[in-house]
Amino acid sequence: MRRLALIALVALAFTAGCKRRDKIVVQPTEEEGQALASVVRVADPRMAPQLISGFHDVEQNSWRWTKSKFTVAIRPPSGAATKGAKLELKFSLPDAVFTKVGAVTLSAKIGTTELPAMKFPKPGECTYSVEVPATLLNADSVKVEFTLDKFLAAGAAEQRELGVVVSTVGFEAK
Amino acid sequence: MTERLRRLSFWLLPPAFCLWVYWFGLRAWFQQDDFAWLGLRLQVHSFADFLSAMFAPMAQGSIRPWSERAFFMACSAVFGMEALPFHICIFLTQFANLALLGAITRRVTRSWLAGLAAPLLWLSNPGLAVPLSWTSSYNQVLCAFCLLGAFYCFLRYIDSERRAWYVAQWVFFVLGFGALELNVVYPALALAYALAAAPRFVRKTLPLFAVSAAYAVLHHIVAPPQVSGVYQMHWDSAVFTTFWQYWQWALAAARLPDVRPMPDWFAPAATAVLTVVLLGFALWRAWRREFLGLFCLAWFGIVLAPLLPLRDHITDYYLAIPVIGLAMLGGWSMAAAWKKSVALGAISFVIAGLYVASGLPVSRATARWYFNRGRKVQTMVAGVAFAQQLHPGKLILLNGIDSDLFWAGVYHKPFRITGGNDVYLTPGSETGITAHGEVGAIGDYLLAPAVAGRALEREEAVVYQVGGPRLKNVTSHFRDQVAPTWKKELPRFLNVGQKLFADLLGPSWYSLEGGYRWMPGEATLRMGGPVVPAERLHFTGYCAEGQLAGGPFSLTVSAGGLPVGSVEIRKAGQVDGDLAFPATLIGREEVEIALTVSRTFTPAGDSRKLGMAFGTFAIR
Repeated sequence: MRRLALIALVALAFTAGCKRRDKIVVQPTEEEGQALASVVRVADPRMAPQLISGFHDVEQNSWRWTKSKFTVAIRPPSGAATKGAKLELKFSLPDAVFTKVGAVTLSAKIGTTELPAMKFPKPGECTYSVEVPATLLNADSVKVEFTLDKFLAAGAAEQRELGVVVSTVGFEAK
Repeated sequence: MTERLRRLSFWLLPPAFCLWVYWFGLRAWFQQDDFAWLGLRLQVHSFADFLSAMFAPMAQGSIRPWSERAFFMACSAVFGMEALPFHICIFLTQFANLALLGAITRRVTRSWLAGLAAPLLWLSNPGLAVPLSWTSSYNQVLCAFCLLGAFYCFLRYIDSERRAWYVAQWVFFVLGFGALELNVVYPALALAYALAAAPRFVRKTLPLFAVSAAYAVLHHIVAPPQVSGVYQMHWDSAVFTTFWQYWQWALAAARLPDVRPMPDWFAPAATAVLTVVLLGFALWRAWRREFLGLFCLAWFGIVLAPLLPLRDHITDYYLAIPVIGLAMLGGWSMAAAWKKSVALGAISFVIAGLYVASGLPVSRATARWYFNRGRKVQTMVAGVAFAQQLHPGKLILLNGIDSDLFWAGVYHKPFRITGGNDVYLTPGSETGITAHGEVGAIGDYLLAPAVAGRALEREEAVVYQVGGPRLKNVTSHFRDQVAPTWKKELPRFLNVGQKLFADLLGPSWYSLEGGYRWMPGEATLRMGGPVVPAERLHFTGYCAEGQLAGGPFSLTVSAGGLPVGSVEIRKAGQVDGDLAFPATLIGREEVEIALTVSRTFTPAGDSRKLGMAFGTFAIR
């Protein structure tokens, strides 16, 4: 009888203890205030919201194909609103694209201001790098729109429209 | 000492092996149907609700009160959304299964080696990986427990002829119907064994058939067979190809190339070797008038038989219980070979090694896959639960949901269990999600760009990015940068029970109440129009008891001024509508849907003239 009572007590305590539990152990989120990145690694899922349009899915956990036009939101680095910054896009111009379209020219614009275009005459690793004036960098985030003059249209090589293979894009402080 | 060691290994080795193989399964989090069962408790407000939650046919007409309803409701009442205690329950049941299988095999073969080998061979089969990793398939484990328990009692009855064992068999058998419909095969298993090894007891198995027949009839009445979809039964020659598929999977070698690169000849060659050995051994023993091997093969065939007409739903966990027969046969053949000579014993161990080495990598990879997917779902659900506490009442939009996460988590609405916020995907998310029309529609989980944009502008919504180790709030970025790029098209899914859609409703609707809204005699709403002719208007409404006091009434629906259809309402409760659009409306950017009821009513204590209450409208 005493043993039964003990078992009942233990069971009751166990159940009562369990009832106090939360329905789910919540996981704190990363709230705003932690600003957008100045340099966007396009394969990082945490930075995916900064890729506004024109990017295909991540491949090999390290890069993404673009379409002919692609847009990224980037946070200007500190001091950029007074000193300006350098915009850098690191990408690869694959042989598969180059053999079909030849040299490509990449241009960019912020708002309505066109940035200098650059021509890439050889396949392989490339960097588009241009100076951006301070007057364009006085917001919390800046939307940069890139355009390629030549690309593989959808259906040419595969179903997707293919531009270049991007790894990072961002501003470098001066 | 040797005897003690043997006894210890007999009872402890299989559970230890089980933990080693399925360690990741033990720690996997909830996914897919788990959330439907976890949410079942939310539907229980009265004893009548409880009875309905326990016994009403659900999910393809299944009624599994112990393995699904009671299991999930009881465990979630005590442990909430902690998955580990659920899995501990499952593993404890499986440990009992292993003990029963060992005891049964030792008893029927008179060999402790066979009794030890059978549970280990069973555990090596990939068919067990899902039941031991995914909580919703506990029905397989519990059904195995009932079948093995009943069969063990039957064996004890045959040996002792004590009535208590016969009664115990009946208890296991009858309770088994609450675990899984497959329990219906037990009488055939008992009869097959009696014919093979105890003919004097054949008569004792016959009453069991009456119960199975009665259950089959009852089940047919309350849950009629599916007439379409993957659960539709096909009684044609496809059952043979389905059987062959399952046979190959049961021998494990055919699954190995799924997880490891193997030469093309491996799977057919290994399957052929294992088939020849198992069938050869059973037939050789039968030729010597020992029919136990045939019984083991019959176990496989009998338990699998009800699943063979499901030619469009061939799934590896359906093998969990049938392969028990092959495990017994394998264990027995190893013990017999060992008894014959050391050389034969060594060969049998090599052949068993081929099977184990083929099955284990698949089983472990499957368990790890469930674990990894569960982790992703947990990060999302636990993060949304935190966001729900942080932003009560706000709409939560999730961005970055991939196909796997959608179908394993979002689709099954886990967020209604963790909080009251409405959760949708950001506009455009559908491009990253593979459609599975046979499972469900993605559209109901997407918020139209115009609605999402407006909610962000009014600060009624928050956006979280999914994909990293934690959810990331990206609301202001979406509001300032992304939302302005969204098209301003009207939604093709609309929930009139949510404040979010209020400005798409005409002026006559009454105020929001809970998750629904009443209309008077007439009401209108605006939606994006149908894009292709196959798209139809689906809606869910509710008819109150009081409105039928004057007899049936009708709800007439028109769109863009053209009649769409009429629904006659004869009974109270939920009303589901599904109407085709006139061809002239196809391709219209916007349609105004007009609703008219033929009669309103005024409930006691309410001055309003009520038509019907509505929830959702969708064009798909």
